[in-house]
Amino acid sequence: MRFRSFRARLVVVFVGLFAVVLTISLLVVAGFLRAAARGEIGEELRLAGTLFVRQLDARSQQLVGAMRLLSGDFALKTAVATADHETTRSVLDNHRRRIGADVLMLVSLDGAITADTRPSAQRGATFALPRLLEEAEQTQDPTWVVPLDGGLVRLTIVPVLAPDPIAWLCAGFSIDDRTAAELRRLTGLHVSFLRRQPEGFTVQASTLETAERVDLERGLADARKSGIIRIQGAQHVARAEQVAADVLVVLQRPLTEAFAPYNRLFWILAAVGGAGLVLSILGAILVSRRVSRPVVTLAGAAERVAAGDFDTSVSVPQSDELGTLAENFNEMVAGLRDRERVRAALERAERLKRFFSPQVAEVLSAGDESVLASHRREITVVFCDLRGFTAFAEAADPGEVMQLLRDYHAILGPLIARYEGTLERFTGDGLMVFFNDPVPCPDPALRAVRLAVEARDAVQQLLDGWRDRGYTLGFGSGIAMGFATVGRIGFEGRFDYAAIGSVTNLAGRLCQEAADGQILISASVYAEVERAVEAMPLGELTLRGFPRPLLAFSVLSLRAHAPLPAGSSASSGDARGAR
Amino acid sequence: MKRRPSVAPLLVALALLVAGGTGPAIARAPGVDAVVTDQAGKPVVDAVVTLTPVGGSPSALRPMPAVMDQVNKEFVPAVLPVVVGTPVSFPNRDNIRHHVYSFSPAKKFELPLYIGTPSAPVVFDKPGPVALGCNIHDWMVAYVYVVTTPHFAKTTADGHAHVEGLPAGPYEARVWHPRLRGEAVAKPITLTEDEEGRVTFSLTLRPDARPVPRREPYEGQQSG
Repeated sequence: MRFRSFRARLVVVFVGLFAVVLTISLLVVAGFLRAAARGEIGEELRLAGTLFVRQLDARSQQLVGAMRLLSGDFALKTAVATADHETTRSVLDNHRRRIGADVLMLVSLDGAITADTRPSAQRGATFALPRLLEEAEQTQDPTWVVPLDGGLVRLTIVPVLAPDPIAWLCAGFSIDDRTAAELRRLTGLHVSFLRRQPEGFTVQASTLETAERVDLERGLADARKSGIIRIQGAQHVARAEQVAADVLVVLQRPLTEAFAPYNRLFWILAAVGGAGLVLSILGAILVSRRVSRPVVTLAGAAERVAAGDFDTSVSVPQSDELGTLAENFNEMVAGLRDRERVRAALERAERLKRFFSPQVAEVLSAGDESVLASHRREITVVFCDLRGFTAFAEAADPGEVMQLLRDYHAILGPLIARYEGTLERFTGDGLMVFFNDPVPCPDPALRAVRLAVEARDAVQQLLDGWRDRGYTLGFGSGIAMGFATVGRIGFEGRFDYAAIGSVTNLAGRLCQEAADGQILISASVYAEVERAVEAMPLGELTLRGFPRPLLAFSVLSLRAHAPLPAGSSASSGDARGAR
Repeated sequence: MKRRPSVAPLLVALALLVAGGTGPAIARAPGVDAVVTDQAGKPVVDAVVTLTPVGGSPSALRPMPAVMDQVNKEFVPAVLPVVVGTPVSFPNRDNIRHHVYSFSPAKKFELPLYIGTPSAPVVFDKPGPVALGCNIHDWMVAYVYVVTTPHFAKTTADGHAHVEGLPAGPYEARVWHPRLRGEAVAKPITLTEDEEGRVTFSLTLRPDARPVPRREPYEGQQSG
């Protein structure tokens, strides 16, 4: 689980880094795009504005040209000069149609309207914009955008020359929603004409809807300042051009529409980035798998080792740190395996040492344990115990009892080990040792006797101290020789190595018979050690459990020239156990 | 030798005629020098200066035939001052037709497309300025200024006009120009026998705004 998250972490780190870089670059690109878009849109609007004004100018020039042609018409001059009002009006109406004007009127040199195509026209009324007549005299471009009759008109004023000016010819072209729509077709921008009123600019003609016009009027000040205006909740880029003293033209375009190509570019970039992200996720998963696979392998192996499986080894065929780690891991596991083997061997040896001398135990632990399987063999059995121990144990305090046993065992233990005896059992003061099994030794009887003699001497010294303190204690021993069935007995968790046969009974009986300081041996034992010991025949003894009396001897001492028992069974050339 | 007897009685007759017209008691003044400048102080050419006696009987007018030529698609002269009743002929010296017209209140007339000299001259029988145009050449503009006094003159390029042969006495001097704003300007002046009268006028003129160039480049000197 942890390594899965390690892998996940790798993926997250890779992908996260990529995502961060991607996001930053996308943001930067988006910022640049926006700035570029703003700049370009601003420039586009500026150009459109300039073009628009030029367009208006060009249209005005056209109108002026057309008007000059009209004014030069002889029929018109004649009509004007003859002052035939109805004819003049009719001529004007005809000429109005010629140039497509919405209104055409004739104004006398002193500023009175003498003829007018408007239905509401009042003959003789004063021309509403006398200032323009003065300007018309001076300028080469006699055209203006002016408010007239509640709307906006483009007014062109040229003199009627006959050949001196005899009147002014004024043509008006309404600037209405249709005009705005035509201009929108030309520029692709929303076009609005606004006129300054006492309460502020109001839209006179526009391509916008009514509600949008209200927004435009309201946001005009902002639009002129920042070039951005909010129309019906949407941002528009806007540009205002002054086309007359009190008349503005506002060109505008929705920002979203203007940004559309840039947004498309942005989304293409985002899609490419997204694809890159997906690829990087896949790549990161692949890479992280590759990187984490040996780690996961090592982790699994480590778990198995922790569970005790020392035969684990990992294979990471890489020449990098992980490869080295795997090699070291394998070496480490090999080391653990060896140590475990040694530990197991030592454990077994420890177990064996309970029954056998260290030397024997080592031999056993090095080999197989099949020697412990049940078998029949001739062994020499030594029994020994303390006389009067039961009474002592009851009389003395427990500390003293345990002290005595400790000292007693401390004497016997090393001796048993030294003579390589197999300790079958000990019960308080009594214990049983046998020789020639499970590892045969050359002179089991002699070893048994020497063990008993040395034990007797040492224990007697120990007991002297206790006797001085008023306790009646003694040491007796019995040794017998014969075949017995030997092997492991017991149950799982508690096994003993035991010898079953009359020889053990005999040794036990002889031990019981022995007085303090006596070592009783059977005839067969005596026959083996006759030349090495001084012994006194005791004649035939009748022993419980034995139908016939048996010859027994009491060992007095070891003969001085008697050969010492070999240090180990291996040093002996004569293996009696093989018999 | 034969000519002299015939000249002398003619001169006498002329002298008698002149003396009889003005009366023997009235002495001649040396004349008037009028100077006309515009609002910028520059001399004004083709301004018509007239002198009308104040009080007394008006001077007798003797209309003489006058000519307004059309040469090289221009009227010549640009300004023609005449007394009331003067017949003016309009000879066309170009090889194309012209269409001369006037819508001025003093004289409305029209000479539709013609070539050569129309048989009948146009008689200018009312005082006042008459603007002449050609219907097929917008730049062709000329003026006939019809006056009610025999004492008038036209300024030359230096802005001076000399009126001569005037009896001494009080006069009203007036000036008129095609581009003058409003009415002719009037100034009183009294002429004496021994000194030339002087009068100056400073006029406010409209800009010279002819509708199109006088001459199209491709027309060259067609009938120079």
